[in-house]
Amino acid sequence: MEEKKDQAYFRKLANQLMFDLSDEEANAIVKEFEVLTKQLELLDAVDTEGVEEMIYPFEEDTFFLRKDEVTHVISQEDALVNVKDKIEGHFVLPKVVK
Amino acid sequence: MIREIVENKAQVEETCTKAYEKAKAYQDKLNAVITFVDPKEQLENLPEEGLMRGVPIALKDNVNTKGILTTAGSRILSNYVPIYDAAIAEKLKAAGAVVIAKASMDELAMGGTNKTAYIGPCLNPWDTSRITGGSSGGSAALVASGVVPMAIGSDTGDSVRKPASFCGIVGIKPTYGRISRYGIIPYSSSLDHVGYFTRSIEDACITLQVLAGRDDRDMTSSYREVPDYRALLNADMKGKKIAIFGNVLDAIANENTKALFFDLVEKLKEKGAIVDTFYFNEDLMKAMLPTYYLIANCEATSNHSNLDGLRFGVRETGASMEEIMTNSRTKGFGPLIRKRFVIGSYGLFEENQDKLFRKAQKVRRKIVDELNVCLKDYDCLLAPASSTIAPRLDEASGDELSDGYLVAENHMVIGNFSGYPSMTVPMGFEEGCPIGVNLTCRAFEEDMMFNIGKAIEEITGYENLIAEVK
Repeated sequence: MEEKKDQAYFRKLANQLMFDLSDEEANAIVKEFEVLTKQLELLDAVDTEGVEEMIYPFEEDTFFLRKDEVTHVISQEDALVNVKDKIEGHFVLPKVVK
Repeated sequence: MIREIVENKAQVEETCTKAYEKAKAYQDKLNAVITFVDPKEQLENLPEEGLMRGVPIALKDNVNTKGILTTAGSRILSNYVPIYDAAIAEKLKAAGAVVIAKASMDELAMGGTNKTAYIGPCLNPWDTSRITGGSSGGSAALVASGVVPMAIGSDTGDSVRKPASFCGIVGIKPTYGRISRYGIIPYSSSLDHVGYFTRSIEDACITLQVLAGRDDRDMTSSYREVPDYRALLNADMKGKKIAIFGNVLDAIANENTKALFFDLVEKLKEKGAIVDTFYFNEDLMKAMLPTYYLIANCEATSNHSNLDGLRFGVRETGASMEEIMTNSRTKGFGPLIRKRFVIGSYGLFEENQDKLFRKAQKVRRKIVDELNVCLKDYDCLLAPASSTIAPRLDEASGDELSDGYLVAENHMVIGNFSGYPSMTVPMGFEEGCPIGVNLTCRAFEEDMMFNIGKAIEEITGYENLIAEVK
């Protein structure tokens, strides 16, 4: 049975994405989801039998296997410049193992 | 404008300082800037020569700039100072351009109003009770108000071309792969393009000359040669074949917009253009916005999983790593962003992937196939960039299931699906506010696009339009 798309459903989804929703926000998503569902149904009107997915606009080769050479190195100091809490070149986080 | 500034070498310092001061003076009225960048140091280190030597410019705030705050309009990045320059920031610097501002934008480029920037909405220079459109609204406002002759934006759905319409300026989205995206904070990788605003087609040519070219650091960057766009520029319309986007015109209710458009079409015909109307399959047209919405939100959800407050960005407190991440992301993202992530995640659920995400990718191919049929016979596809002038700040978007919304307001995503070059040029005015026309050409045919744009510019006379900010 398909899960009911209520406030609790979207909050659970948000929590999986590591953020929370207020009651007001969850309620707004429930309402907007009704419109979105109707919009998504418009996709069903298009017959895509045998059609390959289009992942990127062009299929010409623009990538290559680069040589195994060190390039674009950043220093440890630079790597940590935007970290709020650091000690001796490490990120500081709450203990995982208590 | 760009050429005049470059040629007037003696005035360079004065020009850049004035632009910086003007941006500051307009801030109370437009709220277009997130970070002002003092040009002094850059002026002391200008190259001897360069296509943009001494030209003041603004960058959308999703362009990484070494040592300069780069927020992408989001609270979660409101303390983020990059340690490297984006590829285009390097190129602009090498060409002598002088950055005076990091411009406001919709949070993480995910919006079409510029109302969701964490610093508050950016206002339209033609009428400050109206929006600029987004997501590159700050950049558009700075060009339209005459602060800078060029500003960088980015375009995932129509985020350069729609604000260009609302602000009466030229908005360019070149071919996918033409400009490197290395160092641009991403939104949706298969749809994201670097774009830009100018007030003339000639300036658009010069800017692309500076920005285009292969970059090994962007895996989608093209190896194709970059032509001399300005040398190729002409307004000759004889024999050029134009397809009017029939479905879009049918979906526009505003008669004033249609009158402006068809008046322009008549004048293009007088210049020698051959004009027909082309209709896309109606089901494909209606599916265009949902297709965009799914692909963009699914890719964004994945791209922005690194915004967790741990390695960079604003970190909130918490008793565990999970709690820190949850608190940082809850407070760091605005409600619209969180909504879009939820929808993106829904589309990526294993049970929904075939029905939604992959289905959207297949529909995308069918839409592009249809565009290819059109552009096999025509040099460009032409339509109004929006059905109305810029909406007022508190105006609702209307019925989101109507043709007016699904087709007339959102047809420009076709340029992102295909990756083909697409631009908006001013077309006329309604109630004292501008509205633009959009044209899309074949891949890597920016020269053709500029030529048709030049013809439109000559017809309208809207070169170097500057809004009087009140």
